[in-house]
Amino acid sequence: MRGRLPFLRRRPRRPGHYPPGPLRDLAAAPAPPGTTPVSQVELLALDLETTGLNPRTDHVLSLGCVPVAGGQVLLADAHEHRVRPPDGVDVGSSATIHRLTDDALSGAASLAEVLPLLLGALHGRVLLAHHAPVEVEFVGAATVSAYGARPPLTVVDTLALEHRLRADVNGEVQGSLRLDAARRTHGLPRYASHHALTDAVAAAELLLAQVAELEQRLGREVLLRDLTPKRSG
Amino acid sequence: MEVELAEVSDFLAGHAPFDRLPGSELAALPRRCTIRYARRGSVVLDVGDRGDGLYVVRSGAVEVRDETAELVDRVGTGEAFGMSSLLEHRPTRYRCAAVEDTLLLVLEPAAFDELSQAHPDFATFFAATHHARLSRAIGNLQRATSGSTALGTRVGDLVTREPVTTTPAASVRDAAAAMSAAGVSCVLVVEHLALVGIVTDRDLRNRVLAADLPTVSPVRSVMTPDPVTLSVDALAFEALLEMVSRDIHHLPVVDETRRPVGLVTTTDLVRLENANPVYLAAAIGGQTTLAGVVAEAPGIRAVLGQLVERDVSAADVSRVATALGDAVRRRVLALVEEELGPPPVPYSWVVLGSAARDEEGFTADQDHAIVLGAEPDGAGDAWFAALAERVTAALEQCGWPRCPGDVMATNPDWRLTVPQWRARFADWSREPQPDAVLHTAVFHDMRHLAGDQDLTEQVHLASVTTASARLLGHLSRQALAMRPPLGFFRGLVLERHGEHRDTLDIKRPISAVVQLARVHALRSGSPSLSTRRRLAAAAAAGTIDHDAASELADALELMSYLRLHHQAAQARAGRTPDNNLRPADLTQRQRRHLRDAFEIVRSAQQRLSSTLPAGFE
Repeated sequence: MRGRLPFLRRRPRRPGHYPPGPLRDLAAAPAPPGTTPVSQVELLALDLETTGLNPRTDHVLSLGCVPVAGGQVLLADAHEHRVRPPDGVDVGSSATIHRLTDDALSGAASLAEVLPLLLGALHGRVLLAHHAPVEVEFVGAATVSAYGARPPLTVVDTLALEHRLRADVNGEVQGSLRLDAARRTHGLPRYASHHALTDAVAAAELLLAQVAELEQRLGREVLLRDLTPKRSG
Repeated sequence: MEVELAEVSDFLAGHAPFDRLPGSELAALPRRCTIRYARRGSVVLDVGDRGDGLYVVRSGAVEVRDETAELVDRVGTGEAFGMSSLLEHRPTRYRCAAVEDTLLLVLEPAAFDELSQAHPDFATFFAATHHARLSRAIGNLQRATSGSTALGTRVGDLVTREPVTTTPAASVRDAAAAMSAAGVSCVLVVEHLALVGIVTDRDLRNRVLAADLPTVSPVRSVMTPDPVTLSVDALAFEALLEMVSRDIHHLPVVDETRRPVGLVTTTDLVRLENANPVYLAAAIGGQTTLAGVVAEAPGIRAVLGQLVERDVSAADVSRVATALGDAVRRRVLALVEEELGPPPVPYSWVVLGSAARDEEGFTADQDHAIVLGAEPDGAGDAWFAALAERVTAALEQCGWPRCPGDVMATNPDWRLTVPQWRARFADWSREPQPDAVLHTAVFHDMRHLAGDQDLTEQVHLASVTTASARLLGHLSRQALAMRPPLGFFRGLVLERHGEHRDTLDIKRPISAVVQLARVHALRSGSPSLSTRRRLAAAAAAGTIDHDAASELADALELMSYLRLHHQAAQARAGRTPDNNLRPADLTQRQRRHLRDAFEIVRSAQQRLSSTLPAGFE
């Protein structure tokens, strides 16, 4: 698969590669290049609550997102959407984690209805998530099903970044890198987790703390590429 | 689309003043915030920055420092900074730096303004914080520059008259004539309305007379051109610095167009400094006659009035009042002793009551006693009787009324040797009669003023160590008897049994705190004297819990503060200061805070009463 090759993965595809619609629009408004200082980059922190971890068999139940720009988490533009799973899917036991029940979701929009809003919010922005593969895979599966292709995204993963900050000379990390543990490491307050928007805000705050630490370590302005973003789609 | 940011609104709901906002407004607030992060050591807002919102600390800590880098406040979780810029609509005068890794919620200025308008309490809360920081910053500035408060005055306020001016072309003789006519030692040289030079007495002496210059010479040839000037809003201490560093005695004050508006001289600054407690204490200490001390004593009220006007804390005003009182008492004692000749036996003079606790205000009786180093003979006793009477009479003239309970050194009962004092304390401790309790209470507040300090300390120590459980019980009962009122109702004071009064005797709840602190300090064996120190000592010893101790100290500060402001206003109006506050003169906020203070006193009394053995309630 071409996408697996790093040198190809780093080069964004032209908008014409994508079918007309939300994906082509997104490709036409890419995230800034890696040499851009982070203070000038807009990011969108995203968290999904799902029925499980397998994008082929599990479903998105809610989506929370909040932009980060100029060193600030912009709560004014925070959004949360509950997502109605396809007919015949039970929330099942996952409800005990995120407290989203079938009843609560029955009146919500479907993923196909929510997806264009999310892709619109990603215009010109970098996707930010803690353990980003989950978000990338679920969003990718959704766009493949809706538009026949994966979305062109630049992604920063706070978990991967925390791994780099905490790793010793052997590349090993003592202790947990989970969102709440990483936040504690940076002296951030404890939140009740497993709520999409709260977790998105939590990841956004964690990034601010990580960038501040990185800036001190590097002794210079932090650039987007210092956060080792990955391109996908 | 549903936006739920309960994490943020719940947090705000847990902290004042957001906790008073209606739920609907609270829920809308997160959307008007951004979140920022400040790593330890980084500066969030710097002097001269225009704050772009109200910064609420979500976690971590921030220190607020003024231009001189003095600490003004430390802001922790749930507290805020940045309000000064929002309230004053000008750049901040503080540097706010994170001292821990800090997460901040920043409320946009428009939201702050809207909430301030819709909820006066909200505005008042931040205005109070702003004001407290500002007065601390001003206090820092003044301490840093001169140890004086008066030198913070603007030089524009020192200028009392139009400057005497001349022109560069005028003759030296005309300039000298103008100076003589106006009775000044300095003339400003003005051309096209702007200041171009200055001529002083010294210049006339050195550059005209000594140089044998004809008096028809133009002023231009003898003036000091382009003199050092001050702008009208410079501070008096800056004037002092300029004068000292350049060895000059006259500084022209000019407006923005360099038009001279007046002159500040060293004499102006010296006069200004007379209102300074340090100078007043020195002036009192320098008096060589009792009449001289009596003449200086009214200056104390003037200084206290100024401190109150500058919104200095009650604790600080009381300390200054006591220190100045000590200056008078020590000077009077020394002068009387000079008259009487050397004492027949060593002795110490002790002050009692509020003076001993460093808690004097505008009104204080004389409470004092003498500790004798040995029992004097008949002539010796006459010497001490004369000393006591003359000192008491002089202090009375200085403005301290005689103690109605006769707890003064004039009473031979209170001129005792150390063993006699010990026996007296032991008697009170064994068989405390109700009126004896009052005495012991007064004598437990005993501080050395003059003479042989060792004598004072032996007696004071005895007062702490001889306190029996029985005596503590009686002192506690006395502390419980001072019940604060319940609060206020329709502009009247609501008493415990439902009756109303039109004035509040603020001395009663203040005494309650003083007595509670005394009991707790004695129970913990602490020899501390001031109520604040006693509360802290008792909390450290565990006889009272830390929260209760700090709440009582806050309540004392609030009540003393209101009393000082009331008494300062009376003193300004030429009336005799008293303790009777009129609820109508208090703001709604002050009444609310007083009610809280009463509640703090009441619950401290209840806790004390529950620890008393049966028969003492």
